[in-house]
Amino acid sequence: MAAFRERVNADPELRVTGTKFDASFGIAFDETRYVVQVRGGTIERVLASPRFDLRTSFGFRAPMRVWSRFLDPDPPPLFHDVFAMLMRVPDFVLDGDTLVAMQNARALHRMMNLMREIGPVPAEAAAHA
Amino acid sequence: MPDFEPILGRYLTVDIGGTAHRIYVEEAGQGIPLLCLHTAGADSRQYRHLLNDREVTSRFRVVCFDMPWHGRSDPPDGWWLTRYELTTAQYLATIEAVWHALELDRPVVMGCSTGGAIVLRVASDYQGRIRGVVGLESGAYAPGRYNDFLHHPAIHGGELVATYTWGLNAPQSPEAGKRANWWYYAQSGPGVYAGDVMFYSFDWDARAHIRSIDTSRCKVSLLTGSYDYSCTPAMTKAVADAIPGSRYTEMPGIGHFPMIEHYEHFRSYLLPELDFMAAE
Repeated sequence: MAAFRERVNADPELRVTGTKFDASFGIAFDETRYVVQVRGGTIERVLASPRFDLRTSFGFRAPMRVWSRFLDPDPPPLFHDVFAMLMRVPDFVLDGDTLVAMQNARALHRMMNLMREIGPVPAEAAAHA
Repeated sequence: MPDFEPILGRYLTVDIGGTAHRIYVEEAGQGIPLLCLHTAGADSRQYRHLLNDREVTSRFRVVCFDMPWHGRSDPPDGWWLTRYELTTAQYLATIEAVWHALELDRPVVMGCSTGGAIVLRVASDYQGRIRGVVGLESGAYAPGRYNDFLHHPAIHGGELVATYTWGLNAPQSPEAGKRANWWYYAQSGPGVYAGDVMFYSFDWDARAHIRSIDTSRCKVSLLTGSYDYSCTPAMTKAVADAIPGSRYTEMPGIGHFPMIEHYEHFRSYLLPELDFMAAE
């Protein structure tokens, strides 16, 4: 997830489109959970195994087998996009205050697609499981 | 001398259901009329590459128009007292009004997504009066795209619908094509994409109608991208299976917006279907 943070924070597009993106959200790979704290489109911190008192607005969760397909450099159809999975992959879930997620959809979507560029995430997450 | 593209755009007022509508129409080429329908919440700019393809325009008069409320077509008078929600009947009436106003003789009607859906009814309802239909991303029944966030006071609708539809592209498609389509979507009027998706998700069901299509009177070609998760290849295959004599091809590495997301790749699938349409 450190590589994810680094990639996001170096992204010139998010510097343009993410300036109003202030939120914390969760990502769960199987039972391995992270909280991503975003301010101005920059990831300030990624916190592993967060306690229940670390608040989030919304979160994505899915089994690792789903994330692995999404994060494949050549993703298969239906697993190639967050919105595709929300419509067609029942195990991929967006929960919490989904309004906040959709208010930041442009930058959030960009951020999630950048995760595909850093292949080690599934292995790293699996190691934490 | 300016390096103009061959596309000519004009405005036309047509009567649709007893109400005057000012419609934007653009065209290029000469020959068999090819009437093109854009996707939900978008406009005819999606066909910019087709309109500039001389291999097509040397044989076809390519005509594209913006649906009412979309692109450069105005909503009808009193629009501010109306919630825009497209219906199957309104969509068919609009196509027929433009087709007749332009005096298109036995056109080929091509549409994508919602346009790809409605051409199935065009084929069933007007067979014998048209040469054929080319359905891009055509489904006879396609629930599931609507959600209340598409038109919501706390959300920038343009950014959301453009992002919501971005994933309908194939990941492999060129950045420029995907970005162009994003921009067109971001420019849609408030609630217009939602109103189109209301049609697609709730009103649209042509599963019975397509069984009446006689392909000896109206040719049917169906092309669907492998990455289309709104109208999946399986959904179009089901349409093809219900229409004896129809032609269906799945397009690998293409998504829901073939004509704008990756035209060069798409045309390799389109040109044989246009040959098929042109053949007597």
